[in-house]
Amino acid sequence: MTLRLSTSPHLRSPQSSTRLMLNVIIALLPSAAFGVYNYGYKALMLILVSMLSAVVSEYLWQRLTNRPVRIKDCSALVTGMILALCVTPEAPWWMLVVGSAFAIIVVKELFGGIGDNFINPALAARAMLLASWPMVMTRHIDIDGVSSATPLAEGAQSQFSYLDLLIGRIPGVIGETCKLAIIVGIVYLIVSRTVTWRIPVFTILSAFVMAWIVGLDPVYHVLSGGIIFAAAFMANDYTTSPMTRGAQMVYASGIGIITIIIRKWGAYPEGATYAVLFMNLLTPLLDRYIPHRVYGHSKREAKN
Amino acid sequence: MKLTFKRGVHLSYANKNATKTSPIRDFVSDEVRLITSMHIGAPSKPIVKKGDKVLMGQVIAEPVGFLGIPVHASVSGEVTDVSMIPYLGEGNVECITIANDYEDKWTELTPLGSVESVDPALIVPAIKNAGICGMGGASFPTHVKLSIKPEQKCEAVLVNGAECETHLTCDHRLMLEQGEKIVGGLRAVMRALGSEKGIICVEDNKPDAIANLKRLALNAQGVTVQVLKTKYPQGGEKQLINAVLKRQVPFGKLPIDVGAVVVNVGTCAAIYDAVVYGKPLISRVTTVTGCVNKPSNLRVRIGTVVEDMIGACEGYSAEPGKIAFGGGMTGLCLPGTDLPMAKSTNGIVVYSVKDSKSIDEGPCIRCGKCVAACPIGLNPYLIKRAADADKLEEAKKLYVNDCILCGCCSYECPSRRWLTASFKIVKQKLAIQAKQNGGKG
Amino acid sequence: MSKDNKLSKIFLNGVITENPTFRLVLGTCPTMAVTTSALNGLGMGAAATFVLIGSNTVISLLRKFIPDRVRIPAFIVVICTFVTMIQLIMQAYLPSLYAALGIFIPLIVVNCIILARAEAFASKNPVLDSAVDGLGMGVGFTLALTLIGAVRELLGNGSIFGLDILGSSYQPMLLAVLASGGFLTFGLMLGVFNAIMNKIRLKRIREEAR
Repeated sequence: MTLRLSTSPHLRSPQSSTRLMLNVIIALLPSAAFGVYNYGYKALMLILVSMLSAVVSEYLWQRLTNRPVRIKDCSALVTGMILALCVTPEAPWWMLVVGSAFAIIVVKELFGGIGDNFINPALAARAMLLASWPMVMTRHIDIDGVSSATPLAEGAQSQFSYLDLLIGRIPGVIGETCKLAIIVGIVYLIVSRTVTWRIPVFTILSAFVMAWIVGLDPVYHVLSGGIIFAAAFMANDYTTSPMTRGAQMVYASGIGIITIIIRKWGAYPEGATYAVLFMNLLTPLLDRYIPHRVYGHSKREAKN
Repeated sequence: MKLTFKRGVHLSYANKNATKTSPIRDFVSDEVRLITSMHIGAPSKPIVKKGDKVLMGQVIAEPVGFLGIPVHASVSGEVTDVSMIPYLGEGNVECITIANDYEDKWTELTPLGSVESVDPALIVPAIKNAGICGMGGASFPTHVKLSIKPEQKCEAVLVNGAECETHLTCDHRLMLEQGEKIVGGLRAVMRALGSEKGIICVEDNKPDAIANLKRLALNAQGVTVQVLKTKYPQGGEKQLINAVLKRQVPFGKLPIDVGAVVVNVGTCAAIYDAVVYGKPLISRVTTVTGCVNKPSNLRVRIGTVVEDMIGACEGYSAEPGKIAFGGGMTGLCLPGTDLPMAKSTNGIVVYSVKDSKSIDEGPCIRCGKCVAACPIGLNPYLIKRAADADKLEEAKKLYVNDCILCGCCSYECPSRRWLTASFKIVKQKLAIQAKQNGGKG
Repeated sequence: MSKDNKLSKIFLNGVITENPTFRLVLGTCPTMAVTTSALNGLGMGAAATFVLIGSNTVISLLRKFIPDRVRIPAFIVVICTFVTMIQLIMQAYLPSLYAALGIFIPLIVVNCIILARAEAFASKNPVLDSAVDGLGMGVGFTLALTLIGAVRELLGNGSIFGLDILGSSYQPMLLAVLASGGFLTFGLMLGVFNAIMNKIRLKRIREEAR
């Protein structure tokens, strides 16, 4: 009989990295299902193409650079899926191939792979697509397949009721329209302890308060556009969000506030993408300057 | 109101179910091996030699130095060997083997009488002579903990009945079956320290123990029972003080500096025996669980060999892959089963081969679960990065020396990184460095 | 070492070993700003090359007369002269390129490659060497700019030097000709160039070891 020797702890939490990524995919399913229901087979194809492309890019890159292949952790699948869910169903398939390859190779792998990217890959890819092919990316159709303006476009504000916004009877991108499906996703993520409640709740809350302060209709602004989707799946991205409680609150509030600022004064009708990307950049600083108080040490000491 | 500390982790305590309802049973083996360094501090000096006849409770090794405590024969019989054996992380230690003659003949005991009437000044010396050290796992000599300076005041004595570790139920059973000894021991400590308040702290997953202690506390002056939320590592001394008294022990200071003393429930019961009956610490309750056929809480003589204890639990139920002293979060692995348990051994957990597989580290995904779990408020992912690069100074600046090695970060890490293990190594390296720099730093 | 050999080494040093854009990472402001097309890159590179050769030659000639303490202003005056010349020439003969490059032509004055070569090379070396160094650095700069310009033009417009390459079905990637695309392309090409250089270096070390 040989006994193994190892240091404590001898128990590990059942949540592995892969499990956490699968949880995110499960949480994304309601939104994806709604997108497919709304826009049909085309949306399904886009989601699958994007996920496949992300995994293939990661595999090829890791093989080419002689790194351990880590596609089994499913993080590439998550990136591909989120990217597909935040583009319009009118996007051509090759755009998603380019987008997810960009997300994985340029944004994630070039900076060191999983855990080392400094901005959210899916969002960076979306911003890239938006800057590259703005005409295609902003072509939206409503659920009847008629080209129309999103709820945040100028002059479109009165067309939709709160209920339309909540259940997704609005034109928009594949996965962001039905807020109800996204909220189900957030709840699943929080209940399964995949993420903490702080970031999504504070993002939505701060957007609500900020919209109210600047004189916009807070309910309308929270329910339209990508703020809820961003709060649920983008702001929460592990690698690019802060870790300490205080920093998470500041980070999430920043996203909500900047989103509304962009909507109110910016050139774009929607700002959640850029708000998250901007706050991603501040993440290391927030972690550094809003640390947890170390037990038995004074607050000032902890900052040095 | 249920109290708790900040952060920490919620563990699954299903592994306690095997033993939590099984009453403590006695087990005596043919032979005991008593090592001389069961406590923190210099090893005791053996005063018996091979062939000597000893009585139960007889001093067989004398204390050395300030932190020293004596070792007592835990059975009556003949000393068959005094030799050096390798013991866990401590290198070679002196070990006295006694063959049991099953007569259980006590040496002459000097009882002090009731805990309420005894002269408080006699209590601490009695504790020292009884060879009592922390029985929750830290094995710090109790008499040193209780020897407070005249200018210090102990506002509250906390009795640690949290038992936040997995698998273990020995404290739980003790609180249920021998609650009066715990309350009595606590009264003795309170009187010795001149403290008005005694708080027995129990987590809310042991309602039967809480009810029992609450009932007993009604008759004891100044003793209350505080219910805590179930969370690991609640039973850590610093965490317990934080949870109950809302105070933090400054780095490098002792609990007494914030007016508190923390004593384990097992230690309390041992103090009661030492004061009231004059009995030295020769037995304790130890949980033997995991892959054994009959998981039990055994009252064993100190120095019982692990193999005998597993035999008392009717052997392995599956091929063992790993055996550890202590629970799942902080347990110390045994290289073999021929080693004896010591005064601080609160449990023996046998893991199956499946549960003992080596775990490969994945890359850090910066999920922040370690930061959210750390009860001290450290950034384990950053310390790990410094540790991997062997940057000791950086690790020190990140407060690695404050780490209590509770294992929360490693437990939570979805990438299965060996966080706690590397902090342990870094702390050891820093300690060696500090020693080389003349004991400073 | 023969004279020719030495000169060719100085030349190659500028083009490859110490390529100003990819190895020294100097003059990144024009690199980012004007490389929206291959032609713009080439034009900017050519202008900088002219100034580099001219300033290196003159500064090398004057290297023993310029007092150390006022050398920077003196270098700048010499560089300004050549920049003004090239600016006027371009304005006269290549008005469209001049219009495309705009402010970045006069800004060559403060292009750090030119000042760096004046300071690091021309002020310490004989005339011919300095002129060849200017040529080498200029060619290296031009090649790098043209390459970046070609990539950005190809992605952002589907063409290189105005020649349609990817056909009419290609949907141009606007990002490539925007500023952020410039940063991305520059960064990625910097990485690729250095990866290749490292490979070559390792290979050479291995061969020498053998």
